[in-house]
Amino acid sequence: MWELLNSWFIAPFDYGFMRRAVVAGLALSLAAPTLGVFLVLRGMSLIGDAMAHAILPGVALGFLLAGFSLPVMSISGIIFGIFVALLAGAVSKMGGQREDAAMASFFIISLAAGVMLISLGGSSVDLTHVLFGSILAINSTALLLIASISTLIVLILAVIFRALVVECLDPLFLRGQGRRNQWIHSIFLGLLVLNLTAGFQTLGTLMAVGLMMLPATSARFWSKRLEGLIGIAIVLAMLASTGGLLVSFHFDLPSGPSIILLAGSGYLLSALFGRYHSLAARLRRKTTPLETPSIT
Amino acid sequence: MSTQTASRLGLHNLHLAQARRSVLAGVSGEINAGAITALIGANGAGKSTLIQAIMGELTPVSGEVVCTIAPERRAWLPQQLALDLTFPMSVEELVMTGSWPSHGALQGYCAAHYRKGRDIMARLGISHLAHRPLGELSGGQRQRALIGRTLMQEAELLLLDEPFANVDSETVSVLVPILRQMADDGMTLIVVLHDMDHLQRLADEVLLLEGGHAYWMLPDALVSAHRPANPLPFTSGGQYVGTT
Repeated sequence: MWELLNSWFIAPFDYGFMRRAVVAGLALSLAAPTLGVFLVLRGMSLIGDAMAHAILPGVALGFLLAGFSLPVMSISGIIFGIFVALLAGAVSKMGGQREDAAMASFFIISLAAGVMLISLGGSSVDLTHVLFGSILAINSTALLLIASISTLIVLILAVIFRALVVECLDPLFLRGQGRRNQWIHSIFLGLLVLNLTAGFQTLGTLMAVGLMMLPATSARFWSKRLEGLIGIAIVLAMLASTGGLLVSFHFDLPSGPSIILLAGSGYLLSALFGRYHSLAARLRRKTTPLETPSIT
Repeated sequence: MSTQTASRLGLHNLHLAQARRSVLAGVSGEINAGAITALIGANGAGKSTLIQAIMGELTPVSGEVVCTIAPERRAWLPQQLALDLTFPMSVEELVMTGSWPSHGALQGYCAAHYRKGRDIMARLGISHLAHRPLGELSGGQRQRALIGRTLMQEAELLLLDEPFANVDSETVSVLVPILRQMADDGMTLIVVLHDMDHLQRLADEVLLLEGGHAYWMLPDALVSAHRPANPLPFTSGGQYVGTT
């Protein structure tokens, strides 16, 4: 029994690349789902996806300038992501168009531009790396970068947490005190870009959103409290990133999709058997006449 | 009745416009602290515009709003709440958020804060709802919780837009003495009202908006002229029927 457990859960981490990968996954799992919970609560679930595409041209430019250098690709990704977010905001203000419509337009342009740039300067392998990540190829520098970005996100979130909660819950409460909400929104979008930049190295620009959104949407089935949502989302993300790595190791599967599919399985199971709003919860409610409301 | 003190909110010859259309002109006056000022007028008379200007949301075309109350002590409860009822938060947590503006970003709550929060909820008759999610409250319970947040905030200026619309009579009977007490404690209260009965019970002064202008009057004059009219007598064209 012990040997089986050892060969499944411990032995894979004898390899340096697996150790680096699991630490990167755990670091991302602390920051990404917390942002995801706020995205869900703000009704901005698809904005994360849009922003993930928005960083792609920046990443591609970094790749063209410095090859597969993660720091350069990250910095240019951050700059371009923030640029696209600002541009989408400006267009929506200028033309009276909703921000999500402007964002949707820009992200598809960004995706096409990014793929074009990478194809011009590299091979299809490079394109696959950027789009779908390579968590097993992370070196110590990249790991340090991911851990630093995740730490920074968690720290900034701690500082703006109350303002973010109030802004989500009741924007007029802040405006009533003459405070402008725009800076909180801007910082939040900035953190989103930072997180996606850290995520693209491990899961790729397209799938980095998965570790942010899937645990957050799953947690809605298990808790009605903000602390509960964040805690559950982080635990689910940690389980998905570590479990996905182990699955990919043992079954020789691509690591990024394994992590996201595991998180996706968590979402489906939550939708079926979760405590609130799930199929099982609906069935329970039908069979139980009246119950005292309770929250976790 | 109230113990009025020096005004901390003054309106000086305000000219206000929305989307390049003039809404109010020549609005002047001092809103007394320690008194409840009822803001009345027909739909479109400019009540929300004036409130926006007082809260600093709208820049006047000319004139100025002089407010000496610190921003973190100002509270605004509009009728169309932006409150997200799906947000995972309980009544107690909502009340406690009132302490955040003065409390800072990182400092946690101490026992005294929780005690104060519980006292406020007891005063509002919502102690039994402390752990109830916001989405499961009735309109009246929600209004009480929001007033609770204002009390927690120790607000010195409170603007309420039709606080008794869509709330139950029990909530009205709980809130009226609490609002009166807030005024007696020296708070500046501006309340948009449409109901003569509420106006009679609450208002110390009335600011009537009509035809793009503001008129100050005493509630007794308005009430005696229109008893038992209820709600306040406005024609469909927005013209106030009584004398001002």
